[in-house]
Amino acid sequence: MKLLTHNMLTSHVKGVTKGYPLLIKATEVKVSEVEFNPQFVSRMIPKLEWSALVQAAEEVGHLNDLPTELLPDYENNEEFLRKVHRVLLEVEVLEGSLRCPESGREFPISRGIPNMLLNEDEA
Amino acid sequence: MEPNDGASVKTTKMTKANKKVIRKQLKASHTLLKHEGIETVSYPTQNLVVANGGLGNGVSREQLQDILKGSSSVKCLLMPPNKPYAFVTYGCTEDARQCHAALNGRQLQCQGRTVTLYLSFVDKVVESHVGMKAEMPPGLKVLEDFVSPEEEVQLLEAVDWSFCDDPGDNTIQKTLKHRRVKHFGYEFRYDNNNVDKNKPLSGGLPAVCHPVLERCLKEKHISIWPDQLTVNQYQPGQVLMSSTGIPPHVDTHSAFEDTILSLSLGAKTVMDFRHPDGRSVAVVLPRRSLLLMKGESRYLWTHGITPRRLDIVPARDAERSVAVTPDPCDLTLNERGTRTSFTFRKVRHMPCDCAYPSTCDSQRPLEVPQRFSLPCTDVDAVQLEMRFVHTVYDEIAGHFSRTRHSPWPRVGDFLRSLVPGAVVADVGCGNGKYLGINPAVFTLGCDRSHSLVQICADRGFQAFTSDALEVPLRSGVCDACISIAVIHHFSTQERRLTAVKELVRLLKPGGKALLYVWALEQEYNRQKSKYLKERGVGPVEGVEPGSVGQMDTTAARTVGTSSSAAKSSQPELSIHRNRTAFGSQDLLVPWHLRGGVQKEGQEPSHIGEKGALLASGSTPVYHRYYHVFREGELEELCRKVRNATIETSYYDQGNWCVILEKTL
Repeated sequence: MKLLTHNMLTSHVKGVTKGYPLLIKATEVKVSEVEFNPQFVSRMIPKLEWSALVQAAEEVGHLNDLPTELLPDYENNEEFLRKVHRVLLEVEVLEGSLRCPESGREFPISRGIPNMLLNEDEA
Repeated sequence: MEPNDGASVKTTKMTKANKKVIRKQLKASHTLLKHEGIETVSYPTQNLVVANGGLGNGVSREQLQDILKGSSSVKCLLMPPNKPYAFVTYGCTEDARQCHAALNGRQLQCQGRTVTLYLSFVDKVVESHVGMKAEMPPGLKVLEDFVSPEEEVQLLEAVDWSFCDDPGDNTIQKTLKHRRVKHFGYEFRYDNNNVDKNKPLSGGLPAVCHPVLERCLKEKHISIWPDQLTVNQYQPGQVLMSSTGIPPHVDTHSAFEDTILSLSLGAKTVMDFRHPDGRSVAVVLPRRSLLLMKGESRYLWTHGITPRRLDIVPARDAERSVAVTPDPCDLTLNERGTRTSFTFRKVRHMPCDCAYPSTCDSQRPLEVPQRFSLPCTDVDAVQLEMRFVHTVYDEIAGHFSRTRHSPWPRVGDFLRSLVPGAVVADVGCGNGKYLGINPAVFTLGCDRSHSLVQICADRGFQAFTSDALEVPLRSGVCDACISIAVIHHFSTQERRLTAVKELVRLLKPGGKALLYVWALEQEYNRQKSKYLKERGVGPVEGVEPGSVGQMDTTAARTVGTSSSAAKSSQPELSIHRNRTAFGSQDLLVPWHLRGGVQKEGQEPSHIGEKGALLASGSTPVYHRYYHVFREGELEELCRKVRNATIETSYYDQGNWCVILEKTL
């Protein structure tokens, strides 16, 4: 699960109103090389919840020097875009879990896949 | 003032209202003749037919008796089951005439509606089944007053429903009242109608049940202590909606031993039993009674509860258990309340060796005549989909993926038309066929099948496991969504609509969703779809033509039970024959599994994993549920979503397709 994916996931446990962002507990993280495409990263940024990304990066131990606030004029800031690229697309949680911040319900991540299925009584 | 007519019946001055009643009465008579073969006469006799005053209209015997009271000489009141009329026979003609004068045009309040009675004279009352008694299925016994009211309260209070469906939820998918279910001892699996014998539930049977079970042992109704309990709560529907029931079935032979006990609490109901030869008996289960099903009634007859609000029950002996007689002299209506059943069973560990092989999955695994009907509640829909969608895809994932390598071109076009940097959700992504088509967009896949999602991940795509009815993505986060060959797996319209609404929820305003569903019409504009044209294994559907088991392609309605006042039980699902036209909209489509999954040295007749039927020659066959859409149906469904409009709709190779745009 990449952090770009994580940024879009939310808890849908019944009755929960503040199920975002899901808290990451990572037991296995992989970093791989992905071709850098600055336009792509640029276009993703407006779709993100920036603070959730920062929090997620920290939870998986890859915050490094990613700014806690979005930089203005980021479209032209290659250095910044590279940092974002790394965090969004190169860091992957392979094993661990996602926890709903309100209900505490945990969704396991195994082999890179979060299992977000709820039981009948939770839906 | 109107002149008197010269008819032999004495008339009084006719007012406008009287004339109207007479007119309607004549019309009712005409209807009775045309549809029921009942001949009315214009001269007075001892016998009256009361149109609109029948069990079929929701009028009970007690209501009719109430308005007839004062007429001392009523000899007989006949209310044939399910008919919109009744017959009243008086001791003399004059009494009948007075009744006619008094009641013709009388209005009754009935189930919240107004019913107008129209009376006519008839020469003879010829009704069948008068005086007939119905026979209980062999092996069936109902013991009345098996628990006291105090015990009933204790048992009902002992069930903690807080971890079950909550009917107070008012989202659209829960508008049908639920049947709530809870298991003890062993989990009952609805995907194969069996118990998971390797996983007993901790806690066993609740202590509150012990006195009841001890009583059963002592009275020798059972010789072994049961180890599985299923508690079902059936809630009645609101006015105009059908209530809950359970489709007709035989409890799986290989799952449970012989005697099955079922305690009825909270309300009485009528359970329908059906023999394979078509005979049908309705049995009243009074409140606090214990139903014993043994032998033929347990192994051969199916049992079920028709979803409806009113049952036809005997008028005499109202609180007793009887087989509901067809005798029209003795029938009335009972309105359903909330009934909770406690069904106790003993799990079977050896194959079944009963005397009824035709319905026995141990003795004749290939030929078990399982009848599946369309679900009427959300709970039943979930069970059906579990059995005929999810478990199947999990089992066939590998083979399925190998046959799904060519994307539909127009889906590719849609994806390639998106602005670079778009975020796309593929809900029901399967093996990820569409996830990599346009590398300029970010596509997230999700699917209900973990095995299929794993295949996506192995191919380097981002995907997660989830249900299409509840996608765990933030609202408005997607520029586009696709749902290709997914929604036709949902077995009720409510669920299909919920799936569409979820797609729209994910979209930002102006975002678009592309939906593809299988079409009923596989031949369109004189062109046969690829599905029909191809023979042998092909890219569209990796299934060879073949016949396995039942081949009935017509979805006939199930034969109405004899005591059904309202709509008869749900239509059955037919098994489709691959590569032929679809015979009906709700189907089970066979999938012949190939390659890599078979074990060495397998017995020719054997139930494989997850209940797949194995023909001799050993290729397992799985059945997937589909609701194929007729022309216009997908658009109709999409129009129900308020904040979306249809941009385009088209037909593509055996699929109905829609592009939906979110407005706000």
